[in-house]
Amino acid sequence: MANKSDIVVIIFWIGLSLFVLTFSFKLGLGNLRDPGPGFMPFLLGVVLFIICCFLLLKLLLKVYKRSEIVKEDHGHIYFWRIGLVLVSLYAYALLLETMGYLIATFILLSILFRSAGSKKWVVLLVSSAVTVLITFFAFTYLGLRFPMGILKWR
Amino acid sequence: MDLFSGLISGFQTTLQPINLLFCFAGVFIGTLIGVLPGIGPTGAISILLPISFGISPTAAIILLAGIYYGSQYGGSTTSILVNIPGEPSSVVTCLDGYQMARRGRAGPALGISAFGSFIGGTLSVIGLMFLVFPLAQAALKFGPPEFFSLICMGITLLIYMARGSIVKGIIMALFGFILSTVGIDLISGTARFSFGSPALLDGIGIVPLGMGLFGISEVLTNIEQPEGGVILQTKIKNLLPDLQDWKRSVGPITRGSLLGFFLGILPGGGALISSFVSYAVEKRISKHPETFGQGAIEGVAGPETANNAGTGGAFIPLFAFGLPSNAVMAILMAALMIHGVAPGPGFITEHAEIFWGVVASMYIGNCMLVLLNVPLIGIWVKLLQVPYRILMPMIVLFCLIGAYSLNNNVADVIIMITFGLVGYIMRKFDYEGAPLIMAYILGPMMELAFRQSMIISGGRLSIFLERPISAVILGITALLFISSGFSYYRKAKTGAIRKFASKAGD
Repeated sequence: MANKSDIVVIIFWIGLSLFVLTFSFKLGLGNLRDPGPGFMPFLLGVVLFIICCFLLLKLLLKVYKRSEIVKEDHGHIYFWRIGLVLVSLYAYALLLETMGYLIATFILLSILFRSAGSKKWVVLLVSSAVTVLITFFAFTYLGLRFPMGILKWR
Repeated sequence: MDLFSGLISGFQTTLQPINLLFCFAGVFIGTLIGVLPGIGPTGAISILLPISFGISPTAAIILLAGIYYGSQYGGSTTSILVNIPGEPSSVVTCLDGYQMARRGRAGPALGISAFGSFIGGTLSVIGLMFLVFPLAQAALKFGPPEFFSLICMGITLLIYMARGSIVKGIIMALFGFILSTVGIDLISGTARFSFGSPALLDGIGIVPLGMGLFGISEVLTNIEQPEGGVILQTKIKNLLPDLQDWKRSVGPITRGSLLGFFLGILPGGGALISSFVSYAVEKRISKHPETFGQGAIEGVAGPETANNAGTGGAFIPLFAFGLPSNAVMAILMAALMIHGVAPGPGFITEHAEIFWGVVASMYIGNCMLVLLNVPLIGIWVKLLQVPYRILMPMIVLFCLIGAYSLNNNVADVIIMITFGLVGYIMRKFDYEGAPLIMAYILGPMMELAFRQSMIISGGRLSIFLERPISAVILGITALLFISSGFSYYRKAKTGAIRKFASKAGD
């Protein structure tokens, strides 16, 4: 049985192995007496490429033989939650130094509490504010320097 | 230093108030993460790794080791009361533990799992003390070719014993090796796969990688499904098992201790495999195998003892050879290396204080865990009621602070989130994270050993077969490969025959 997504994943691995092969070749392979910096990545890329090509061939043969392509059933998945969490995490990382720990983390926590299922806005905002303040003072006490961003007063 | 004086000095180290505090913190956090489904010891240790930077290496390893073996105690509570394993190694405990709880015997189930864990954990520390010295002595005879072969065997064993597909395990290991080559090549000084980014010149940090793969991805997996699992509304009474329970459990606890310890030594073994093998053994030798799955106490005592015994065994390859046997040990090894301590054949003599401190802390930690898990079980049951909507943002926040605190740099945060996404996608397609993290840790060691072997031999690959120890290890590795290939072929053949038979039947 083969999934369409399995084939996509294998193609991704083949792409990665080809990239590694090209890049490590440029780094210089050296020889067995004196292996260069690209030697080991090249070797790993070759093995990955061979295994993935073999797997792809096997999967394609199964599809060709019409041994049913399985439609995946992941049950009811809240993909919007995952998307929201990921986008907010990346945005947090990019804006942390500009906005500062206090503001950026407060916004992020509000989104996380909401996407995790918290319904009441007041509780959600108060929990976020309290958590941000506790972690800020606790970790600052432990010696960590958080970015202050727009709240920097000097 | 002989065993006795070593142990005494270990107790002197552990009983210092600061180390004792970290020992307690470790087992407490371990029990906590064991009880709460959603985050495992690998994720928790990755998250707490930055905290350990500011303390002494002995205290750091005492803390992190405590989380590891403490999580094995806590995992059973969730399995017995909610029928959801707190840890993967407590999966089999659900089968009989939950059934015992449904019949009003939650107390004896929790009690025997705590006492079994204590006995298994303590015996495995004794085993660790006696076995690690001869192995470390033997490891002194190892040169680069032997280490290269040993790493090859370790990775092969890990893939061989992996839960899922062997081919997927190999792909993940290769991916881990490739990731380990990112950064400056130590021999030539050339930057590899860094694409001009200063953040990648030192390579990908183990902390953001581990936190992403095991922490963030776990959170993403958990938020995709609505909350599940209902705590069994039963009164927990009679935590001390009666004489009949003890009679039935003595055998499983003894066998579980031995099985767990020896399986724990093998790469890829550890707590998970030990618990599964123990359950299978108990069911096979039982006079009443039909009672398994219906609330047989042997089905709780054996696996719960074995998964704790596995934790002690898992330390042996790390301390004797400097090779981690599972993902948790890989992160512990990274923690030691961050502190400038290199595990390996010379570790026990050069860092006797750390070694004996950890050993003694495991004795003390196991005693603390019995106290935490038997009289205070009510607290953990209450904790099970903390909803995931509160836990999830906290886990994410600690991951973010942990990653940022490494270098006060958002690049580490971005790397962590990216590997969180990678880990989540991997889980969706049944790719395991353990071979990746192991290969990532062992990658630089393997490359160095290979290149040194080539320089020693003048470029002859036959050096790996000319040296007897290396040849034997490679022979075992080859046998493992052939055996896994054979079982893969047999499975495919059986599947094809079954399919043909069912079509013919239609």
